[in-house]
Amino acid sequence: MISRLALLALILIPVSAFSGTTPIAKPTPPARPSNVSVVRVNSTIQAYDFFRPWTKKNPFSRRGLGVLIEGGKVLVTAELVGNHTYVELEKAATAEKSTAVVERVDYESNLAIVRPADPAFLDGMKPLPLDSGARVGDRASVLQLEANGEIAETPGTLTSITLAGYPMDNMGLLVFRLSAPLQQRDGSFTLPAVREGRLLGLLMRYDARSQTADIIPPAVILHFLADPGSGKDARFPRAGLAFAPTRDPQLRRYLGLTQPGGVYVSDVLPGGSAKKAGITQGDVILAVNGHPIDQDGNYDDKEFGRIGFSHITNTASYPGDIATFKIFRKGDVIEVPVTLEAKDQKTALSESFVMDEAPKYVILGGLVFLELSRAFLQEWGGDWVKEAPQRLVYHDAFQQEFPADRGKVVFLSQVLPSPDSVGYERLENLIVRKLNGREIKSLADLSEAAKHPIDGFQKIEFEEDPGQIFLDAGSIEKNSQRLQSEYALPALQRL
Amino acid sequence: MNFPRGEGSRKIAVVKARALHTFAQMFRLSVFAAVFLVASVLQAAPVAKSLVRIEATSQDPNYRAPWNPGEVGSGVGAGFIISGNRIMTNAHVVSNSRFLTVSKEGDPKPYAARVLHIAHDCDLALLTVDDPAFFRGTAALDFGGIPEIESTVSVYGYPIGGSRLSVTRGIVSRIDFQPYSHSGMDSHLTIQIDAAINPGNSGGPVLQDGKVVGVAFQGYSGDVAQNVGYMIPTPVVRRFLKDVEDGQYDRYVDLAVSYHSLFNPAARAALGLTDEDSGVVVGSVYGGGSSEGIVLPGDVLLKIDGLRIASDGTIEMEGKSVELAEVVERKFKGDKVELEALREGKLIKLNVPLDRPWPFTLHSNAYNEKPRFVLFGGLVFQPVDENFMSALSPDDLRLRYTFDFFVDDKLYVDRPEIVVLSGILADPINAYSGDSRFGIVDEINSKKIRSLEDVATAFAEPSEYYVIQMLGAGRPIVLERKAVDAARERILSRYGVSREQNLLK
Repeated sequence: MISRLALLALILIPVSAFSGTTPIAKPTPPARPSNVSVVRVNSTIQAYDFFRPWTKKNPFSRRGLGVLIEGGKVLVTAELVGNHTYVELEKAATAEKSTAVVERVDYESNLAIVRPADPAFLDGMKPLPLDSGARVGDRASVLQLEANGEIAETPGTLTSITLAGYPMDNMGLLVFRLSAPLQQRDGSFTLPAVREGRLLGLLMRYDARSQTADIIPPAVILHFLADPGSGKDARFPRAGLAFAPTRDPQLRRYLGLTQPGGVYVSDVLPGGSAKKAGITQGDVILAVNGHPIDQDGNYDDKEFGRIGFSHITNTASYPGDIATFKIFRKGDVIEVPVTLEAKDQKTALSESFVMDEAPKYVILGGLVFLELSRAFLQEWGGDWVKEAPQRLVYHDAFQQEFPADRGKVVFLSQVLPSPDSVGYERLENLIVRKLNGREIKSLADLSEAAKHPIDGFQKIEFEEDPGQIFLDAGSIEKNSQRLQSEYALPALQRL
Repeated sequence: MNFPRGEGSRKIAVVKARALHTFAQMFRLSVFAAVFLVASVLQAAPVAKSLVRIEATSQDPNYRAPWNPGEVGSGVGAGFIISGNRIMTNAHVVSNSRFLTVSKEGDPKPYAARVLHIAHDCDLALLTVDDPAFFRGTAALDFGGIPEIESTVSVYGYPIGGSRLSVTRGIVSRIDFQPYSHSGMDSHLTIQIDAAINPGNSGGPVLQDGKVVGVAFQGYSGDVAQNVGYMIPTPVVRRFLKDVEDGQYDRYVDLAVSYHSLFNPAARAALGLTDEDSGVVVGSVYGGGSSEGIVLPGDVLLKIDGLRIASDGTIEMEGKSVELAEVVERKFKGDKVELEALREGKLIKLNVPLDRPWPFTLHSNAYNEKPRFVLFGGLVFQPVDENFMSALSPDDLRLRYTFDFFVDDKLYVDRPEIVVLSGILADPINAYSGDSRFGIVDEINSKKIRSLEDVATAFAEPSEYYVIQMLGAGRPIVLERKAVDAARERILSRYGVSREQNLLK
């Protein structure tokens, strides 16, 4: 059982801004950005242990820099506050602290808003306006704090504007890439980047070898902030399709594609926006909202240059908006209106992330049942794709290939040896098909089916060997208190 | 006995005592080894008349460029003379061999030898020498029974490559079922001894009271376990000798079911068992195996050929407690096995004709086979098996799942053979196919691909376009007939390809 080492590596010993260290002499650059717009964010994080879903792992702390924006909001990355148990803000200059609440968090765009419990805490601070119009080649800088609360500014160059996978769900959103030689100072790379006194975005990751920072740009931040008065759903919608380039002239001739550009729709997700609009595998997307799409899936954006067309559907649009797809289908060109929807993580066969909530589980006579999620698989460590049980990895990786009504994958995770589970001690990671003859598509189904034993037995059917096993329903009832106290289980199920 | 490949099956890291591969680096050590061997040679004088040193030149197949012959290597193993002018050794000593010589202890002359029979599923082989001069003055060894635990045995051979006979001595530590690493998929009765068994010991006799009680065949490498050597016991050897009596080797027959112990009282009661300690429950019945259509998942097996099955899957046989599979282990193709089972609470008798071996070969190491492939438009298509997977070790998640769970998840029903795009000989006509490498070929021109033959057939049919659709998402690969024809000679000569397909093993 391997814990998430990547997270543990970030444990920091809290150091007061006024600790006894001698200030290091440094040249004072002429016009330093002021520290009145940034605030230290210290968060204590405690994730659930998916191998023992009734317990939490050891807490650890993360520090980053939040940036004050209009409306008394402090903007941070979602990663900084994901699974938090406690968040506090600390003023750069005075080290004054305030407890904070996380007002909103969106893991797909990796952004969150934090507010101090005491609004007066922000008095004297100045919000930073969002930048616009940045171009590749522009100079920008990343802000960090010295131990004495002064700003440390690292200049860099904006080297590319592209779509890239965001950390939590690998959703392809706009990213600014900045080349800058950053030092690790604040325990995490949640740091603001500024250009000409305006917020260029928040760093979400930094590669020390290539000295490249990935920045969440203003376009994504604006979408996330979505003016509350507008009534818009601030989530990021998805077209729900996969596409492949049409560079291959043989493929173009086979398809009869004489128009320039276009991408081949290689898959449409069951229940997704494109599927509902009638787009099918084999269609060629020629244009979206009037923007011609080239052979690689890029279009010319007025502001950002050539970027992937998903930007139109996932960031430039909101859920409920209609995007018009110009489709080449078997020789005809048609226009297909697609009503864009955001992904409902809760209905996914395997959830990409489970944050800020306790994992569900059901324990029946010592048999521990879970719903499959990527968070569970990631408990196997950095190489989880190879290390985790391969059948479960397969269900997670290819979940879009299962029928839309497959439901959750409920599986026997492990067995806590008990009088009822004798002989089953070695069973693990087996997918449950039925309990007492009832189809199981969620842990709630399992919990309900357990109330209806057949002839006094709980009959569990798996998708794989050993096929079926039995438990004594009456004996489980009788022994449940003892099981709970012996393994110190707070409850035998959590739904 | 076989197990499917998936998560639940047994996996043991037995490191093969394989002279053929390790001989090159071990040879230098043999100079030192010889110093210690002198005393042994004198002591071992009687067996010297029966022991032979086998030198094998082998050629392994090339799965990366399947039209090319593979690399040639050489190795040393041991063998011993048995009745009928035959030499017994391990299958792995002579696998993939192109040229074999044997020499007798104290006679420097190498004699050309040939393989009579080879059994990869139990790692045994029989050789002979056509020159009658070879057997002059030799003595055939006889076989004994199963030695007692703690009794002493002597192991003879040419460990780490020396040219003079070496003997080591050990005691019998354990007798049980173990995987045979030569095929990687078969398990048979095995005797563990504490004498060191090293590359070069392979195929050598293990003697007790002048009789062969085993054939040394595998051990652990030093970093896994010390003083653990394995020999093939005489029940396995005798079965092999009996099997080949009709002139050919038929392989082991197999029930091709999985079964599980029944310790849980609730499970016992639910299945209608009234006693406390008998019966195992069938988990899966594998398609194409002997039990298909006769045994059903959920059957509780109570007796096998009249022998009572305990709830841990063991039976009493000749006073010893052994796995129930041992009954089947001793049978031959065409024999029957009688099962007594409980099905939905009713006692039934089942007669299983043992007419088939374990039906899946893709997880076994295969030997003496030529790689099968089809080359079309610079795209190389190959069926997936253990040899292919270990030669190319693809990372592709879908391919790994399909291979590992081929038997467990009954993927063979839909696709008896997994065919992949295994390589691309880069050319302008396939410049955009790179993303599909290691993709499983699902359809060609809308025809389902269920074997490599299907691929060859699809490409042989005239068509303007060949549309190759891989399993799962992704665009199809499209090849134009005229472009393929125009590129053909160019690709063959540029990459030195001698043939465009091989459909035979």
